[in-house]
Amino acid sequence: MSAAAETRRASALRRMRRGHAPGQGRVGSIIVLMVVTVLVLVPFAWVISLSLTPESEAFGSVSLIPAHPTLENYGTAFSDADLGRALLNSGIVGVVTVVTNCLLAVLAGYAFAMLPFPGNRAVFYTLISTAAIPISVTLIPLFLMARGIPLVGGNDILGHGGSGLLDTLAGVILPYIVMPMNIFLARQFFLSAPLEMGEAARMDGAGELRIFFSVYLPLAKPLIAVVAIFSFTGVWDDFLWPLVVTSSQEVQTVQLALARFLGSGNVQYGPLMAGTVIATLPVLVVFLFNQRSFISGLSDGGVKG
Amino acid sequence: MATTVILPADVDSPPAGRTSPEPGGVRKRRRWSRTALIGLLFVLPAGLYIVIFQLVPVLYGLVLSFTKYSPLSRSGPVFTGIENYTDLLSDADFGSALLVTGRYVLQVLPITVILALGLAILVNRPFKGVGLFRSALYVPHIVSLTAVSMVWLWMYSQTGLFNEVLGWFGAPAQSWLLDSDSALNAVSAMRIWKALGSNMVLLLAGLQSIPRDLYEAARVDGAGRWATFRYVTLPGLRPMLVYVIAMDIIYLAQGFAEIYVLTQGGPLGSTTTVNYLIYTEAFQYNSMGSASAMAFVLFALIIGFSLLTIRGVMGRNR
Amino acid sequence: MDVHSLSRRRTARLAARITAVAAVGAIAAALGGCATSDDSGAGGDKTLSVWLPGNNQTEIDLVTNTIVPAFEEETGATVDVTYVDWGDISTKLNAAFAAGTAPDIFGHGPAATADFVANGRILDLDDRVASLSQEDRDDLAAALPGGQVDGAQYLMPLSLQGYLVMYDADAFRAAGLDPDDPPSTWEDLKAAAEKLTQRDASGTITRSGFLTPSQAIARQQSFATFLFGQDGSLVNDEGTEATFDSDEGAAALDFFTSLYTGDDAVSANLGEDYLNAPAAQQPLVQGTAAMTVQAPSMMQQIVDASPGRDLRVMPALSFEGGEPAAFGGAGPGLMINADAPDADLAWSFIQFMLSPDISTEYTQGTGTIPVRASAADSDYAKNSAIITMFLQESSHLHANPNVVGWVQVRDALDKQLERGLNGVADSTSVLKDAADEADKILAANG
Repeated sequence: MSAAAETRRASALRRMRRGHAPGQGRVGSIIVLMVVTVLVLVPFAWVISLSLTPESEAFGSVSLIPAHPTLENYGTAFSDADLGRALLNSGIVGVVTVVTNCLLAVLAGYAFAMLPFPGNRAVFYTLISTAAIPISVTLIPLFLMARGIPLVGGNDILGHGGSGLLDTLAGVILPYIVMPMNIFLARQFFLSAPLEMGEAARMDGAGELRIFFSVYLPLAKPLIAVVAIFSFTGVWDDFLWPLVVTSSQEVQTVQLALARFLGSGNVQYGPLMAGTVIATLPVLVVFLFNQRSFISGLSDGGVKG
Repeated sequence: MATTVILPADVDSPPAGRTSPEPGGVRKRRRWSRTALIGLLFVLPAGLYIVIFQLVPVLYGLVLSFTKYSPLSRSGPVFTGIENYTDLLSDADFGSALLVTGRYVLQVLPITVILALGLAILVNRPFKGVGLFRSALYVPHIVSLTAVSMVWLWMYSQTGLFNEVLGWFGAPAQSWLLDSDSALNAVSAMRIWKALGSNMVLLLAGLQSIPRDLYEAARVDGAGRWATFRYVTLPGLRPMLVYVIAMDIIYLAQGFAEIYVLTQGGPLGSTTTVNYLIYTEAFQYNSMGSASAMAFVLFALIIGFSLLTIRGVMGRNR
Repeated sequence: MDVHSLSRRRTARLAARITAVAAVGAIAAALGGCATSDDSGAGGDKTLSVWLPGNNQTEIDLVTNTIVPAFEEETGATVDVTYVDWGDISTKLNAAFAAGTAPDIFGHGPAATADFVANGRILDLDDRVASLSQEDRDDLAAALPGGQVDGAQYLMPLSLQGYLVMYDADAFRAAGLDPDDPPSTWEDLKAAAEKLTQRDASGTITRSGFLTPSQAIARQQSFATFLFGQDGSLVNDEGTEATFDSDEGAAALDFFTSLYTGDDAVSANLGEDYLNAPAAQQPLVQGTAAMTVQAPSMMQQIVDASPGRDLRVMPALSFEGGEPAAFGGAGPGLMINADAPDADLAWSFIQFMLSPDISTEYTQGTGTIPVRASAADSDYAKNSAIITMFLQESSHLHANPNVVGWVQVRDALDKQLERGLNGVADSTSVLKDAADEADKILAANG
């Protein structure tokens, strides 16, 4: 450990001597970043602007600053679409999805990379290939399955008699419990993880679950961050499945709430944009929180986390 | 050059040495070693779930692709053999949609990957406020597509932002979404905007997984920036690049939502992708059978193209 | 090594988090438990599940606060209402019918009705309509035909839809036209539009004299408007064959094309969807058009977005010697699931929705045209010149036919119309191609 720290310090010193001090050469990249960031944020800037614009003036001019700014749209978004309830629902769904994916998908991806078993590649490809089929085709069978889950929603052991997981938050979560692409992601990540640490722990007599949790999972913070962010974003964004599987106001998700303002031929731009701003914030918070796991590639030390 | 320290991370299988230190013959005897059993056990919860809730619906769809079936019908699917598939052979719309989908994937994929890689490298440096840049660049990925597409529709309109900016330079206004030559490019631009952040985050995570020692070794060897990128960053990033490219192909080839909100497949079919046709067949025409057949042709092409691209880009992996 | 103790703590934290999530899961399950089931089946307390084709707040408030409580009190039934935009409802219904969980009553656009009928999914309401008083039936006369398939009533429209021409009276005056005497034929309208069209130095149109929708789907409706104005038709009475492949059809498409192309073009931006653009972005508001085809709710929003402007609506137009016609008719309406356990209860709910006061309030909330002619005397109509004009013209509103496979026929026609409008092929040949395709679709569904 201390030897590694020594090397690091030495190399940092070397870097200094060679003129690669932190900060130098970064001004240029920060300027590039700023320009790209501003460009990327242009459409979102208009979302915010429209959220503050009275309905009758929406898109009336190319000015970013509303002529008659108002907060009314935010009130409408909360009162008309019951956005508070929807945020809570989507939050619950998102958190559950994050946990199941960070655990099950990461564990499976880890095994595909580190603990191969005969036929693992065939199994792996079969599992992830399911992501290449459009939802249009799988929507109805999935709906039938959600309805036929045994012993819930009034169903008997054979899944008959009741409505299963239809119109429940559990039903909304159903297709997201493990996302195949997260298994793929985890596998790719662990493919480049060092094998020696596991071998060492194995020789010390550590069990495989222990090795996963104590040796490799701590290494995988960036992976966990990405899986968490993507799982949350994925379920937060979905519209079609919640639309089909829910009916009651009590279980509607954020995207369904926003759709309230997207009537055919009758879009309510102000409340829609206000709702969009509000709906974006929680995901942004999830992101901000998780991105701290990407501590820094090039300068910070490795395992200590 | 520090090439010796670089672990060749394989594309679709762990390097041979990883399976077990023993030579091949011994390995064969130990096929179901303890670790292999545990590996299977680790895969089991996620695997079983996916088999039940993803694979079974997919297989159901495969069965439907050999039938005529409306979800509204009381009698259920009627077996029609390979008719749905043979019909596709002579379906000009399907052929055109395949071409559109192909062009869409080919033009969006390289741009998103390369741009995102550049951004990931830029935000992989520790400096104050880097988190804000990362978050800001990720915003497009999380903002509701239907809502923000309203803004894009306006930006592309005759009196919208793009034409306003053109006007500053004295250029004539363009009919971005109304011209069959430019519509797919306009859709692509929005897609690139939307997908950039997610690719960046993935590649950032990939950059984080490259052992620091490699960079230090490269530095000791006096490697310049380009050499470091070429011989340390790129190989180290390979597993994640494979993932990003595969994921982009899979999702781009299923491009639908961005087209639904911007162009509805027009003008003159120039943005009608295969998945747009599939959606229309399935939910506008209630023809689940032919929708499924289209989906499985698309599926085969996606898998084939993903494998080809990954092997082409990444090289020497069987 | 301290790595181990650290990870042990991390594992503990993870375990704590999992426990927390399990608790959340339990809450979710509990939530699921109290959620409603669509399968009422058993007798005892009567429940009615309804999917309403709307997501407009006024409409939701009306249904939740007025209609449902009153209905529940009157019948002792429990009503579970879900609001779905009718543009989103197909997917939801398909899954629900496949699983046998479809609601007792659901709303949709008329274009979808024939497919539900063909699959035996909805009730024939003829007898029930016949049991209404003569007065009621007359009052609903403009709306009912749009909900019929093969002459039988299946859908009860909640509103009327229609498209008329809105025009800028000031622009008329500036061009030397009399806004009090707007064109009554399409030929006159084209001539007036030529005077109203403005171009820049390069000849590009900066203000369209007249705009009619030319984007996907709506372009078929524009064509139908001109076709009806020529006394032409889309399909034969039996709904077995396309009839738009005719002289009237060619004349209608040629007229449509002439608006957008040629030296005397009067419309800019072929294919752009101005119809669904926000009010402040509407060509009439921006001053980029002098006359545009519009639906009533957007007309109202346009008026609100341009205070002080003199914007008016003209009556339906015809071609020289023809009958005036505009596109419209029954809007989204309600159907009864053929498997509904209590069809009488479902019918009484629909009757309730269509009762004069509720119906007027409903259409006022959605900014649409009332289904009842008697609504002309309501405050809603009296206070709105726009709604008054639509009610007055309601007998000239013509809809697409309700035949099985219509959505496919419409899309086939729409695609060929786009080719014609863009000059890819001439009107006769695109209509012939469209008719061939349409006949094939109709035969396959027949």
